[in-house]
Amino acid sequence: MIPGSFEYFAPTSLNEALDLLKTHGDDAKVLAGGHSLIPTMKLRLAEPAVIIDITRIGDLRGVSEPDGKLVIGALTTHYELESSALVQQKVPILSQTAAAIGDVQVRNKGTIGGSLVHADPAADWPATILALDADLKVAGPDGERVIKATDFFQELYTTALEPEEILTEIHVSIPAANTKGVYLKQYQAASGFALTGVAVLLTRSGDTCQKVAVGVNGVADVAYRATGVESELAGKTLSAENIAAAAEKAADGVDAMEDIHASPAYRANLAKVYAQRAIAQLAS
Amino acid sequence: MASWGEARDSRLIGQRIPRLSGADKVTGKAKYTFDVNQPGMLYGRILGSPVTHAEITAINLSEAEALPGVKAAIPLIEPGKRVRYQGQEIAAVAAETDDIAKDAIRLIRFDYEELPYVVDVEEAMTEDAPQLHEDRPGNQSKPGIDERGDIEAGFAEAAKVVEATYHAPVQTHVSLETHGHVAAWDGDNLTVWASTQAVFGTRRDLAQHFNLPEDKVRVITEHMGGGFGSKFGPGVEGRAAAELARKAEAPVKLMVTRKDEHLVSGNRPSMTQHVRAGATKDGRLIAYDLRGYGTGGISGGAGFTGPYVYHVPNVRTEKFAVSINAGNARAMRAPGHPQGAFGMDSLMDELAEQLGMDALEFRRINSDSQPRRNEIRQTEYTLGAREIGWHRRNKVPGAGRGVKKRGIGMGCGQWGGGGGKGTQARVTIHADGTVEAVTGTQDLGTGIRTVIAIIVAEELGLRPQDITVKIGDSAPGLASGGSGGSQTIGSVTPVIKTAAIAAKQKLFEHIAPQWGVEPEALRAASGKLYLASDRTKTISWKEATGHLGMETISEGGYWDEELRIGDVAGVQFAEVEVDTETGVVKPIKIVAVQDCGMVVNRLTTESQINGGVIMGLSYALLEDRVMDAQTGKMINPNMSDYKVAGTMEIPEIKAIALDTGRKVTGIGEPPTIPTAGAIANAVYNAIGVRIRELPITPDKVLSALAEKGKA
Repeated sequence: MIPGSFEYFAPTSLNEALDLLKTHGDDAKVLAGGHSLIPTMKLRLAEPAVIIDITRIGDLRGVSEPDGKLVIGALTTHYELESSALVQQKVPILSQTAAAIGDVQVRNKGTIGGSLVHADPAADWPATILALDADLKVAGPDGERVIKATDFFQELYTTALEPEEILTEIHVSIPAANTKGVYLKQYQAASGFALTGVAVLLTRSGDTCQKVAVGVNGVADVAYRATGVESELAGKTLSAENIAAAAEKAADGVDAMEDIHASPAYRANLAKVYAQRAIAQLAS
Repeated sequence: MASWGEARDSRLIGQRIPRLSGADKVTGKAKYTFDVNQPGMLYGRILGSPVTHAEITAINLSEAEALPGVKAAIPLIEPGKRVRYQGQEIAAVAAETDDIAKDAIRLIRFDYEELPYVVDVEEAMTEDAPQLHEDRPGNQSKPGIDERGDIEAGFAEAAKVVEATYHAPVQTHVSLETHGHVAAWDGDNLTVWASTQAVFGTRRDLAQHFNLPEDKVRVITEHMGGGFGSKFGPGVEGRAAAELARKAEAPVKLMVTRKDEHLVSGNRPSMTQHVRAGATKDGRLIAYDLRGYGTGGISGGAGFTGPYVYHVPNVRTEKFAVSINAGNARAMRAPGHPQGAFGMDSLMDELAEQLGMDALEFRRINSDSQPRRNEIRQTEYTLGAREIGWHRRNKVPGAGRGVKKRGIGMGCGQWGGGGGKGTQARVTIHADGTVEAVTGTQDLGTGIRTVIAIIVAEELGLRPQDITVKIGDSAPGLASGGSGGSQTIGSVTPVIKTAAIAAKQKLFEHIAPQWGVEPEALRAASGKLYLASDRTKTISWKEATGHLGMETISEGGYWDEELRIGDVAGVQFAEVEVDTETGVVKPIKIVAVQDCGMVVNRLTTESQINGGVIMGLSYALLEDRVMDAQTGKMINPNMSDYKVAGTMEIPEIKAIALDTGRKVTGIGEPPTIPTAGAIANAVYNAIGVRIRELPITPDKVLSALAEKGKA
């Protein structure tokens, strides 16, 4: 076989899935779109004894709009978010981020929840989810709880999700009319992952930056909020100089990664360049 | 003596004719080796060495053999021998399914004693480095030294001197179809479907390996998915497939994995050259002193061209290969040329700038060292410069405004490609009017199948689709050489042409007596035979061949060297846009003016030029085999870290296939030579900072810009 052998379960309800996860504990991995788990299994970097395929749990898929926010099921595919009229109208940065992921095949199968819990530092969703201050709803043996996006990503491939929990929904407040967002990315040439991706939500009143939220991925081993940029620009006029000065802080205090595709200095530079470009685009 | 006739008399030669296999390829009907299946066929897999350098002390196949579904297992290295690079073949298995074969190679046990290794070229040349060969002290081959003229006198005459170091990485072939074979035995007859550039070479190798008469081995290559110089024989993997098939008494398909393709199936060697060159005040190259080396892996060569294209009277060069623990180089699309051209064309621009001369003018003055090529090259300069808009380039490099800066550069190349003796071919006319052209060459995707049909159809007055071309099979016994060195068209088409002439003559000899004329009075065109002196006197092709009755015309041809030519010149111009904040280089347009001798099929000729340019820009900007000095392993043996240019990276390419006479020539390789130099020069023209190391990655561009900013 390509991967090692494993036992396979396909529960049809969330409770059933949680029970299986409790029973099998660390031996089990949850399978959603499979675009991160399956490759690591094929390389035998992961050899879980049990696979819990949650894709038959219908409740976890789709987007709705109850009371001023979008509720996104964890199993919603990238393509569904890219193409949803509701998402395009209410929170277009989500559609835009989805469109920047992989290729058509990946977007058709890969899920937002799967990507978030995998927490690949070069994945696209974390920057946007951070900038949107999303709430991540998870279910576990003791019921449900909500984790704030800023608390969710902890370190390389590690989130605040407990081993027996499953991410069920992503809650995103619909930004006010004076708030606009954009996600810009430099693709790693071969894989299409983000060498650096920057998501910006800019709230303005006239020419003044009321508030700016900046999420960055690809630079450090975990996606982060560039708080230096945010505090520098808040309350200031959106002039080219002010934007450039704020963007300079996009990698402050960050330990940038090194691999064969880019040096730490290059990655840190990209964070600044894309922060500047994203804010400037929204300010123009 | 045969001739191709005048261009104005050609109906088909020089036109744009879709390749005959095109529809089959795009609809998936075409069967590549990967697609060949045989009844009862097994799947083969090779265990490549996971360690970089070790002496193998024992191999135990029993666990693998015991796995249900495994039908054969063989060692590929003897205990006591060494594996000298990651991926080197240790053993192979054949099993009922590919999954079982994969599990089985995990069960192969082997003991080894690890040895010190070195995978970094500079480190390999240090005193402390492990010595990999007894006959390569310091891990260096005996240098090749070339001395012409008087180098010191040359430099004394020079008004300007440039000294620089240029570097190009190891590039792997990344053929879309990996190396592979399907082997089937019938008694002591062996049939092998091979993804190969050399049907007859593969047959000979296998016959020798199994100690069989050559006629007991049949090799078939109906379609193949790229080789670029890496597929000239069965290799370890092809012999293993046949060994496994013999042992298991069942056909075996064994395709090399993408990872092993990067590790063991060949590569273009790296190049580092320290060069010092001078030119006179009036812009003539006068002295050229080079010390260069590269790695071709554990024992491969690493030759490259330099000086290149331009005439230099006083030359001293010293070149050698450095051994490291990595898979060996193999011929790769214009071996030695793209790396040499990148160095030479970068140097030419640096010298031109020192002299205060226009880079194109400087090249015009320093004529090509060969007269015919020089004449063509001067025309190419004019055509290419006009097409790219050479006058638009920055007079002061880096002078453009804004974050994204554009620049224009150029590069040159030369190649042989004249072909040679050694092809047999037959053109057969049957009584029902069908025509077969048969020869033992193979179509690597270059379009030779269609070219053969065009040539026969032109001679017989038929359409290309009326000709059944049978190539890529050794069974008819009509040998042809391997397709390398851009030699196929020059080797094959003269024989096809003379065979078609002879077959036509035979048909004329049948018809002429019935009309009471000499055969020479007849002509063939538009599906008819007619009388040259009276075009109303005609007979349809089918009616004419009907007169053959029980006879069949089948004529061989001969290699007429007057029908082909070598020594082609090529010039390319590139326009790029450099994002000075991210360092990303985006090619905007590449103009490739290529000396093509006589273009037979303009469509497939342009296709080859496009392909060469794409491979060249991929070399310039993207490809790099990265070795990890600590582990001795390749870090990017895949396609998600080793980037090959795809649709998104390809700019507008203007292929100008230049007809330069009525002799065929091969151009599979030459269009990939000038691209990297042209792009490097365009980048310099855009930003005013020279990147002397390929690939020109965003990281390198930004670092260079930062260095310039500091200065």
